[in-house]
Amino acid sequence: MKFPTRLLLTCAAIGAAAGVLLIPVNHFSAAIFGVFPPGFAAVAGIWLLPIVVAMALLRRPGVGILVALIAGLVETPFQPYGASAIVTNLMIAVFIEIVFALALYRYWKPWLFYVAALVFGALYAPYAVASIDLPNYGLGLQITFFAVLLLSEVLATWAGLSLAKRVERTGVVRGLAAPVENGRVVRAPKSPAPATGTAAVDPDAAPEAS
Amino acid sequence: MSALAIDPYREAAPAPEWRYLHHLNPLAKLFGPLPIMLLLLFSRGVAIPAAFVALTLVLLLTGARLSGRMLALLLVGLPIAIAVLGVSFGIWVDPSRLPADALGAGIPLVTIGGWTFELSAYLTGLATAMRLASLLLLSLIAGLTSTGPDLARAMVQNLKVPYRVGYTALAAYRFVPRFGHELEVIRAAHRVRGTERGRGPIAATKRILGYAVPLLASAIRHAERVALAMDARAFGAHPTRTERHLVPWRVRDWVFVVGFWAVSVLLYWWVIQAGLGSLSDSRTGGG
Repeated sequence: MKFPTRLLLTCAAIGAAAGVLLIPVNHFSAAIFGVFPPGFAAVAGIWLLPIVVAMALLRRPGVGILVALIAGLVETPFQPYGASAIVTNLMIAVFIEIVFALALYRYWKPWLFYVAALVFGALYAPYAVASIDLPNYGLGLQITFFAVLLLSEVLATWAGLSLAKRVERTGVVRGLAAPVENGRVVRAPKSPAPATGTAAVDPDAAPEAS
Repeated sequence: MSALAIDPYREAAPAPEWRYLHHLNPLAKLFGPLPIMLLLLFSRGVAIPAAFVALTLVLLLTGARLSGRMLALLLVGLPIAIAVLGVSFGIWVDPSRLPADALGAGIPLVTIGGWTFELSAYLTGLATAMRLASLLLLSLIAGLTSTGPDLARAMVQNLKVPYRVGYTALAAYRFVPRFGHELEVIRAAHRVRGTERGRGPIAATKRILGYAVPLLASAIRHAERVALAMDARAFGAHPTRTERHLVPWRVRDWVFVVGFWAVSVLLYWWVIQAGLGSLSDSRTGGG
């Protein structure tokens, strides 16, 4: 699998933005952890956001993992959990990518993103339960925890999808994103990889972007 | 925030020779504590995490160069935080879910109306707080003594991550200060068009959300220009490349990782042998 430089650097840009976003979120979740442990379920979805944006925007295999890796590397020096953030991010990205890998990276319909978010939620829940010792809390609190976790993931997926849609409309990923028709990847008629060129981007294409 | 303040490439003054954590490979400091962190996640009781808090504090105090502020945080802030977190975690504990013979069961600490805060709930909360503190400290071993770019370099040089990916990560560090500049441009553009209307939290949220799309779009556009510049300089033309900054994996890194695992297993085993591993034992105390 050959990543064109443009694809790599675009992932770096999304990843760096994600890192900057996740630094305060990490601090917030570390702080709310102390006041109201299950409260961090509310922000858990934010970790999904950059991965969903990258995958919905570029629709190429591996971009979620790459964005997660770069976000982890960028946030590592600035947040309380140190380098374990990289492992956390990669774990999340792998869970999400698995769903799309099972679809052979050909189906990018929105519902698949929600399925991926739910799969992540199901795989993440045991980890969360162990880390805050959830079984000791009251039943009501446990149900609230999972409901909030689920809601936060679904909301983040929705936000990521709509953000990706609006960024795509500015035209900056033209020639880079895999072409889709009705949510399915369509193969370009000619064989040269469509993603290698940077020439397809018209600098004046998106005047509304800034 | 100024771009200079967050320049991740800023070279720190070299640490003294005896601050050994600074002279280890970043990956060693990551992989040494990682299995222990997983082990701790599923530990119960106060004693095991407390033992690892002590072990890690010794490592950090001897091996890392700590600022006065960090030293105060570790030695004063951390114990206070653990004690306070024990209360706030403990409040949410449902005492009826704890085993009847749990340490401190039935010993009320505070009673407000019909609600009693029992010692057993506090100790359960304390165990969670102690576990989080130990996880935090273990990740600080790498966090306080290595830089992000060095970690990216080590991934390329030692883990054989393709160098194109590693250098992409290095480029990503440079994007961070760049975002500050882009944000200024976007804000100025929005102000000029009079879209920055309104005061208060709702208008502020709307404004911030309005920055997301143009910021991401301009970041991607910048990334394209960087990619073009890199391609023009034949980035990735060869399967390998020479490195300017070497991050070697040396014998001392093996010694650190294997030693860390060995000491951790011994410590874990010793705490369990001493009968301190479970919450229902009467010798758990301390914090």
